[in-house]
Amino acid sequence: MTTHSDSHKRLWILGGVLLALIAVFAGWSILSKPTAQAQGTKRTKVVFWNEMTGPAQAQLNTFVKEFNKSQTKYEVVPEFEGTYNEAVQKIINTHGTDASPAVFQSMDISTSQIYHTGYTTPVQKFIDEDHYDVSKIAPGARAFYANKGTQLSMPFNTSQPVLYYNATLLKKYKITPPPVNPSYSDITRVATQLTERSHKKVQGMTVEIYGWLFEQFMANSGVSLANQEDGHAGTPTAVNFTNAATVNTMKWIQDNLKKGVFVNYGAGANAQNNETASFLSGRLGMFMQSSASIGQLTTGNPDKLGITYYPHPDGQKSNGVAIGGASLWISNDKTSNVQRGAWEFIKYLMTAKSQAEWQVATGYLALNTDSQKEAVLQNLYKKLPATKVPGEQLRAATPNQTNSGIFLQGLIQERNLTQTAMEQIYNGSDINKSLATAEKSMNTYIQGNNRANGY
Amino acid sequence: MQEGITPASKPGLKPKALPQSGAKGFNLHVNDKWYALAFLGPSLLILGVFVFYPMLRTLYLSLFLTDNVGRPTVFIGLQNYVNLLTSSAYQASLQATAVYVIGVVAFTLILGLLLAQMAVRKLAGIQWFRTIFSATMGVSVSVAAIFWLFIFSPSVGLFDQIGNLLHLPLVQWLTTPGPAMIAVIISTVWMNLGFTFLILFGALQMVPQPLYEAAAIEGASPSYQFFHVTIPMISPTLFFTSTVTLIGAFKSFGLIDLMTAGGPNNATNLMVYQVYRDAFLNGNYGLASAESVILAVIIALFTLLQFKFLEKRVTY
Repeated sequence: MTTHSDSHKRLWILGGVLLALIAVFAGWSILSKPTAQAQGTKRTKVVFWNEMTGPAQAQLNTFVKEFNKSQTKYEVVPEFEGTYNEAVQKIINTHGTDASPAVFQSMDISTSQIYHTGYTTPVQKFIDEDHYDVSKIAPGARAFYANKGTQLSMPFNTSQPVLYYNATLLKKYKITPPPVNPSYSDITRVATQLTERSHKKVQGMTVEIYGWLFEQFMANSGVSLANQEDGHAGTPTAVNFTNAATVNTMKWIQDNLKKGVFVNYGAGANAQNNETASFLSGRLGMFMQSSASIGQLTTGNPDKLGITYYPHPDGQKSNGVAIGGASLWISNDKTSNVQRGAWEFIKYLMTAKSQAEWQVATGYLALNTDSQKEAVLQNLYKKLPATKVPGEQLRAATPNQTNSGIFLQGLIQERNLTQTAMEQIYNGSDINKSLATAEKSMNTYIQGNNRANGY
Repeated sequence: MQEGITPASKPGLKPKALPQSGAKGFNLHVNDKWYALAFLGPSLLILGVFVFYPMLRTLYLSLFLTDNVGRPTVFIGLQNYVNLLTSSAYQASLQATAVYVIGVVAFTLILGLLLAQMAVRKLAGIQWFRTIFSATMGVSVSVAAIFWLFIFSPSVGLFDQIGNLLHLPLVQWLTTPGPAMIAVIISTVWMNLGFTFLILFGALQMVPQPLYEAAAIEGASPSYQFFHVTIPMISPTLFFTSTVTLIGAFKSFGLIDLMTAGGPNNATNLMVYQVYRDAFLNGNYGLASAESVILAVIIALFTLLQFKFLEKRVTY
């Protein structure tokens, strides 16, 4: 009998605790509501989703704080949403609910997808309303996020793919550095000399297995990845991976891997971490990566950093590369007042001052042409002249249909497929066959996707 | 264990809850139906909303092409399944999953049993070893992934350093297909070991000592004792751990995502990872649903097979 009454007592206590907890939560939620509303009446809340980490996140939060202080109408609330890939699905799945953002950051290759959802108000509307001088914003970056003359979103964190080299190592082994706009054979020469003169202590060069770099090789060669002029003239129905320029590029990498002057670091975040670690420890001479890595490569690096433009094929001029990064979109499921607040915030981020600070803090490029005159940026160039190079590369290229990004849905799939092809090629497979397999899979995907969306 | 099942012997049941006729099974009083509904209803509702509805919805979605916001738009019947099963990439994924699951289950059970068998001996300081052997239970996937990434790193990794000392050729663990699979199997087995060890260790301690004493008197060798006393006595636990490990291996995601992201060359692109890729990266919900259905069917099949064949050899 004692055990029974004991367990009864316990049940009562448990029930009592649960009831108390429920009461506390209920009371808290009832009490906390009015205060939240009281704050809300003063300022319009503008929820801002972003996917920035590290120094970029810190700088972005500083911008938000400054913007909120600078005026009294709006309050921007930044919310971190994980990786670019995850954010795209969240943005789409929350649209039309209370949880959706008013302004959000979405990655470069999601542009066509986000546009086709019809969930956004093109920033062109606000540009026209305000007679905003958009010519101050870098044309190469604008072109990437525009469709048939309409600016869909505002380019924000923008990077250029560049080639990094260890200038100290090259000097040590008496190697002439590559020219600022190198050809494939310039890079082969430096990589070969590094490997030979260091007696294989230093790895010459690596090209990460990364679909972005694959796209850039095509852009810089002046060939379209997708038909309909990379989607800028209409909805693409097929891709072309097996053209001469791409085969030539893959052959260049494969030959050098076979000779041992290039090394393979694989794909993904690990490859990026490993190649960076090797580069910083002086075991790797050259590699290609986003210009946004500059910050990481200059802090705590005892060696001198060299930067060049993205390599181009021999015997032709470089066509210029497309930008990478992400842009800012305005959701159309919010009131016009909230959308206006989102636009005001975007304008704040695009000022010459903000953009200059952004480049200094993160390595992403200042997109406002007036930023170049800002003192903070001038100081950075004085301290680290190499950091000028990516911006020069961006300004050197004239935007055209092959270097303004690919306006195609399913670019994540395209990157997976081209990366698989690159992996096979790096491991010695037949170049044409690997590229043809990827091309066929991508075309099947495009056909299904076009059918499902009724294009 | 048969005697415990007759309803009459269950404590706390009111007489009227007893079946009216034993042969027909359930023949409930009208009042009892309401009781049953009241008690089962909430859990059925929750199961319905969060398990059965999503399952049916997945089945439904798998017959469609989905547009860029995930709406099913074009009915294509079984085309998703046909496309998948005829695609060489998906076949490769099935194959990789098979290799991974077999590797993980086999090594987890063998190593777990080995550790448990060692730890069951009563030696000075054995408590320390027991704690260490079960320690991986407290390690989260992300921590384990970082830990193993460091070990497998080609430039600063532990394996690389050891290889350098011994003048062995450099193995690019995570960037060459074969070694990458071995690397993720090693990491998963390591993750699983703590739990498996603990469960098997508990089972080993429950084996009555007199059995071994009797076997020893009969002159049975230690290995004979292991295979003819220990294994049969812990067979229910072995069966349980093998089932749990098998299902867990089929569902492995975290380590794969963090260590190889399905690469290199899709060598570690397991079925679950492909589902994740197609649904949450490519936004291809129809295809991902078809992949989920195939995965669910395979897991169910293996679990059934296990119950059918392995359980026969289990002595309770």
